[in-house]
Amino acid sequence: MTRSDQSAELFRQVVVPHLADALALARWLTGSVHDAEDVVQEAAIRAFSAINTYEGRNARAWLLSIVRNTCFTWLAKNRPKDLVLAGSSADMEASDAEQQRDPALDPEADLIRRSESQAVETAIGALTPPFREVLVLHDVNDMSYKEIAAMMSIPIGTVMSRLARARRQVAAQIGRTTT
Amino acid sequence: MTNESSSENMLLHALADGELDAATAVSVEARIAADPALAAEYARIIAVKARTKALGKPAVSEDFASRISAIGMPQKPTSSRAAIWSFDHPSWRALAASVVMTAFLASGGTYLVTSSGNDTSVEDAIANGHHRSLLATSPIDVVSSDKHTVKPWFDRKLGLSPPTVDLSADGFPLVGGRVEVVSGAPLPSLVYRRRQHLISVVAQPLKNGTAQNQAPVAKTVDGYNMVEWTGEGFTYWAVSDLDTVELREFVDDFRKQ
Repeated sequence: MTRSDQSAELFRQVVVPHLADALALARWLTGSVHDAEDVVQEAAIRAFSAINTYEGRNARAWLLSIVRNTCFTWLAKNRPKDLVLAGSSADMEASDAEQQRDPALDPEADLIRRSESQAVETAIGALTPPFREVLVLHDVNDMSYKEIAAMMSIPIGTVMSRLARARRQVAAQIGRTTT
Repeated sequence: MTNESSSENMLLHALADGELDAATAVSVEARIAADPALAAEYARIIAVKARTKALGKPAVSEDFASRISAIGMPQKPTSSRAAIWSFDHPSWRALAASVVMTAFLASGGTYLVTSSGNDTSVEDAIANGHHRSLLATSPIDVVSSDKHTVKPWFDRKLGLSPPTVDLSADGFPLVGGRVEVVSGAPLPSLVYRRRQHLISVVAQPLKNGTAQNQAPVAKTVDGYNMVEWTGEGFTYWAVSDLDTVELREFVDDFRKQ
């Protein structure tokens, strides 16, 4: 067995089992299922060339953090307007409040007709990126607070407050559309 | 209603997520039991969590999974040796098939098949190298539009350097160069550009006995257009996603210099 055979084998063990998680994260960060495949494929190529940096534990967290970085490069290249860099939390608060007030962003009548899961998807899609990211990493990808904190380089307290706020906004959105 | 950003509210989320140690969990549960507002908030958290989870993850299509698995296969290898000797490689399978065929039809023709099969592998390696360079962060190792920079760089790096021609007047500016590994040997690869298309020109010193000045031959390898010719002591392969007409134009300009 050559060294490249071993890398290939390791790559298949580490990356392939977590493709659904990788696609889920990329889908929510890019906003599109189709783009998610492109991003995950690019991330997989990066993962393969960096397979030697894999430390042998928590393959999923390792892969997801590559997917996350790839998403940001991809967004910067393909949709520079959409890339919202995390500002101060006061900024985010202000933009959240604006979003909730703006009737154009809250087409209630339309939403009521949609199925519940569509309402949840819409609600998650309406979150600002730093909140959406934490919610997806936790509630879709099943990452722990600690893993998310390490991946995003933020304190655990910030993970908790973002998650709490994200869920509250999703709940408020669903509450408006299903009752 | 609890204060939204209070640590008590965050504790409710942490309890729902199973992130609390037993002692803290017990005390938070006791507070929930005693306070209907807290209990309602907790129920809401559980409900949102469940609904988000119920969205699930996108299905991984078989096609996609095999595309990803293929990244780790030696088709796009870090060393071209793997491409040539892996049985997974299509050209190797084709070679094997043609060997069997030839042995069956006319024993004695094996040499011809083997040597042409070898060429196919070299072409595959070159096409793969070009493909890989497009996926890499930078398709070139030395970035320069100046042939007087690129040529000495190859000289230092490989101890050989092909004629480096300046085709910017013909609309093919030089972008730089990189080292391509073909059949285990490092070879210089010049990179030119036309609009958004890159053209890799790989040069291999002619072996003794190879005919000089063979006219260009166009072919398609792994979806890329390729033109092969010999001249000035080297065999050249130009590979690009440019269309055949423009690639041919490039080759003609290259040979004129």
